[in-house]
Amino acid sequence: MGEKPPSPLPLSPGGRGVGGEGGQCYELNLIDTPGHVDFNYEVSRSLAACEGAILLVDASQGVQAQTVANAYLAMENDLTIVPVLNKIDMPIARPDEVIAEMEHAVGVSAAEVLRVSAKSGLGIDELFKAIIERIPPPPGDPMAPLTALVYNSHFDTFKGVVVYVRVMDGVLRKGQRIRLMRGATEHEVAELGQFRPAPTACNVLSAGQVGYFMAQIKTIADVHIGDTVTDAANPTDTPLTGYKEPKPMVYSGLYPVENKDFEELRESLAKLRLNDSSFVFQPEVSEGLGFGFRCGFLGMLHREIIQQRLERDSELELVQTAPNVTYEVLTRKGEILAIDNPQKVPEAGQIEEFREPIVRISFLLPAANIGDLMQLCSERRGIYVRTEYLSPTRAILVYEMPLAEVIYDLYDKLKSVTHGYGTMDYEFLGYRPADLVRLDVLVHHKRVDALSTIVHRATADRRGRRLLKKLREEIDRHLFEVILQAAIGSRIIARESIAPMKKNVTAKCYGGDITRKRKLWAKQAAGKKRMKQVGQVDIPQEAFLAVLETDQ
Amino acid sequence: MRSSSDRPPAWLWPRAAYVHVPFCAHRCSYCDFAIAVGQDHLIELYLDALSAELATLGTPEPVQTIFLGGGTPTYLSAAQLARLLGDVTRWLSAEPGHEFTVEANPGTLDADKVVVLASHGVTRVSLGAQSFHPHLLRALERDHAPQDVSRAVEIVRKRIGQISLDLIFGVPEQTEGEWQDDLERALGLGPDHVSTYGLTYEKGTPLWKRRGRGEVVALGEEQELALYARGIDTLEAAGFEHYEISNFALPGRRSRHNQVYWANEAYFGFGMGAARYLNGRRELNTRSLKGYLQRALAGESTTFQSEELSPEERARETMALQLRRKEGIGRAAFRAQTGYDLDALAGPAIARHVELGLLGDDGGHVFLTRRGKYVADALIERLL
Ligand SMILES: Nc1nc2c(ncn2[C@@H]2O[C@H](COP(=O)(O)OP(=O)(O)OP(=O)(O)O)[C@@H](O)[C@H]2O)c(=O)[nH]1
Ligand code: SF4
Repeated sequence: MGEKPPSPLPLSPGGRGVGGEGGQCYELNLIDTPGHVDFNYEVSRSLAACEGAILLVDASQGVQAQTVANAYLAMENDLTIVPVLNKIDMPIARPDEVIAEMEHAVGVSAAEVLRVSAKSGLGIDELFKAIIERIPPPPGDPMAPLTALVYNSHFDTFKGVVVYVRVMDGVLRKGQRIRLMRGATEHEVAELGQFRPAPTACNVLSAGQVGYFMAQIKTIADVHIGDTVTDAANPTDTPLTGYKEPKPMVYSGLYPVENKDFEELRESLAKLRLNDSSFVFQPEVSEGLGFGFRCGFLGMLHREIIQQRLERDSELELVQTAPNVTYEVLTRKGEILAIDNPQKVPEAGQIEEFREPIVRISFLLPAANIGDLMQLCSERRGIYVRTEYLSPTRAILVYEMPLAEVIYDLYDKLKSVTHGYGTMDYEFLGYRPADLVRLDVLVHHKRVDALSTIVHRATADRRGRRLLKKLREEIDRHLFEVILQAAIGSRIIARESIAPMKKNVTAKCYGGDITRKRKLWAKQAAGKKRMKQVGQVDIPQEAFLAVLETDQ
Repeated sequence: MRSSSDRPPAWLWPRAAYVHVPFCAHRCSYCDFAIAVGQDHLIELYLDALSAELATLGTPEPVQTIFLGGGTPTYLSAAQLARLLGDVTRWLSAEPGHEFTVEANPGTLDADKVVVLASHGVTRVSLGAQSFHPHLLRALERDHAPQDVSRAVEIVRKRIGQISLDLIFGVPEQTEGEWQDDLERALGLGPDHVSTYGLTYEKGTPLWKRRGRGEVVALGEEQELALYARGIDTLEAAGFEHYEISNFALPGRRSRHNQVYWANEAYFGFGMGAARYLNGRRELNTRSLKGYLQRALAGESTTFQSEELSPEERARETMALQLRRKEGIGRAAFRAQTGYDLDALAGPAIARHVELGLLGDDGGHVFLTRRGKYVADALIERLL
């Protein structure tokens, strides 16, 4: 999903020996962070395991929305920020301007900013010196009982789960019997190592160090990110606070085209989850699509990554429904329902309040495009918060906006409004009541549950009409007129029809033509099989995503 | 020779035979048949090969219908025709009341050839008239003139009982008026039978290439439909029965041979590219002239494709073919022929299309309605 901005925190998790002033040796442990908003939770996790943050800004691109967001996260965690301007070797670098932006956007002073080029090595020694001088050495008592923070993990087919830890107190040794405090499971450390930056085995990790261990843990679900590792025989009595589990923000249905592939799909999804516990799925049934799964993702990029892995790892033909965010419904009876699927919306009469997730979204963009972006935001039901100028030509624009209006294509729209120069970042604020309705689609008078969406009442008519237009293009002509309708409850708000086929008959059918015809029928029947039949109407897979493309 | 009574039923053992003569003066723009152009020096050899292939029957086969098609059988000289018909009738013995059709091109038929045909028992001539409008004949690259048709009809009529005329509609730029005129001029010649074929752009033909390059523009669906409907209306009004998607006949003048195909019954096939259907096995002879000559003359099999359908596939195919007929599919006959119950195969689909007004069902037969005929292919596909 577009380019990734340079991350504000650098490099692979790495331990590195550095010769400091006076020949003293320092060990720096580094954690790299991802640059996309879908994976912001990883940034937070990493920050909690650090004493300082290197805030990298690209000298040619300038400050980005993520730069600001992550700088604030670092400040909230009380980390020392070392601001760095990278890529000063590039001819199009504009160091002074960008440093001015950094002063405005994140409140660093120009004098603190280090100018480096990772490519030519310029300023790298100064950077190391600054890290050693400015960032405090890790606290922690090697003599205290073992307390280590699990900040990440991954699954290795040969070695099982690899756990990434930051040791806060005590020491972690090879062969040690450890306890994962949350599940109270005990394991023996089989292998231990540091990132230098390649994984390198060692025998001990002590307070302040970052590294990894393996302990014959079979599935990633047994390891909770944010959990505390302690010594089984001499446990700490104060586990670390840990992290909030990242919650899926976007859901969509995934169905095998052939119902018989259901089990195979389940296996593929389970395999994906082995390495990615933030991806969730559970079986669901759709009238139109049969048996499938409702899948939860951190965001659209995450969804795309999962989809690509699925396509790569299995040969299954899949139909995917349009994604939706998770809504909340307060019922008349006072219950709160989490709605991760439009099907779960109760009857209008039972709804006391319909709520949607709201995010605070920050755009960093050329000042010249502010007008266009504001227009876009107001179309997306955004509530204006503030504008801040970083320079006469660059500004930060802050809005509060329903997440549903953000996830599908706002990023692409921002890029097009700003000719590629704008960036955005958002954080979840909470649920707010809104005038929401479920928009249903009836194909030949039959509701197709997989085509339902939740929309704001004010936009429902427009969305309904566009959706039907799009469906009309996707569905082939039939032998009868196909009626398409959009409805809210029992009220029809839009209607389209697909004219029936008028003439479709081959003139000749004699001896030699018969085999050829039979093969043609077989081929066409195979094509039909890849469609989903709803009532008498064949709906191609693309149609289920039509809902997505109705927002231009 | 076997007698009719000890033979297996007509859907397994043929009472019909097709014989192919591939030679043509030149290739018409829409033609994708198995033909040979500029190979006239191989005609005699071809007759040898055909005779050899016929001889593989071992003993003469009694048949009720013979169809000599092409290509252009009448492209052969009278002497060559005489030789060909002599061989054909030696191995395929016509039973009393037989039908023997020969396809003829209005430009290549003359009185001598008609005498040869008649003297060998030909009962029916199918004339490729196509159109009476010179610019449409040109677009089709037919090499006869409109007046050749009436001349040919006249000489055939002197000797041979039944005449069928082929017409093509849906030619680029053809108007409804021109089509009406073609129909009326054809009727004016007093045929027993008329076939109206909607022009199809077969892949690889010159016409198909021209359409691809944008040099000709195919008629739209609505226009084609209007022409097709006008053909049906005009011919029915003249007393012709619309007995198959593209075929019309005066009472008692249907093509018995072609009805074998639409009943999905068995037939022999001889000659280059010929198809045959025997004992549930479909076979196709090679479409290469050289290959056919070599193999047939060496006494080898000329079959290049062969497939045996499962009973269910055969039943479904029967359904698809029989639906093209006016009488459609007779439930009792269908069960006798295929061993399957029609409603078990397609009951719900039939009911749905009856409801849509595309099929008729009188309990005994399921058949296409007028609107059903217009979309027969799409409909059949859905029944399968
Ligand atoms: N000219 C120049 N290019 C650089 C310099 N530093 C990094 N690059 C290039 O910038 C690109 C991005 O570098 P990455 O290290 O992948 O950036 P990142 O922020 O980690 O990106 P994500 O992993 O996607 O978050 C690569 O093509 C690097 O070669 C530099 O100092 N000068
Ligand atoms: S005369 Fe018939 S077989 Fe010969 S080229 Fe023309 S259409 Fe084809």
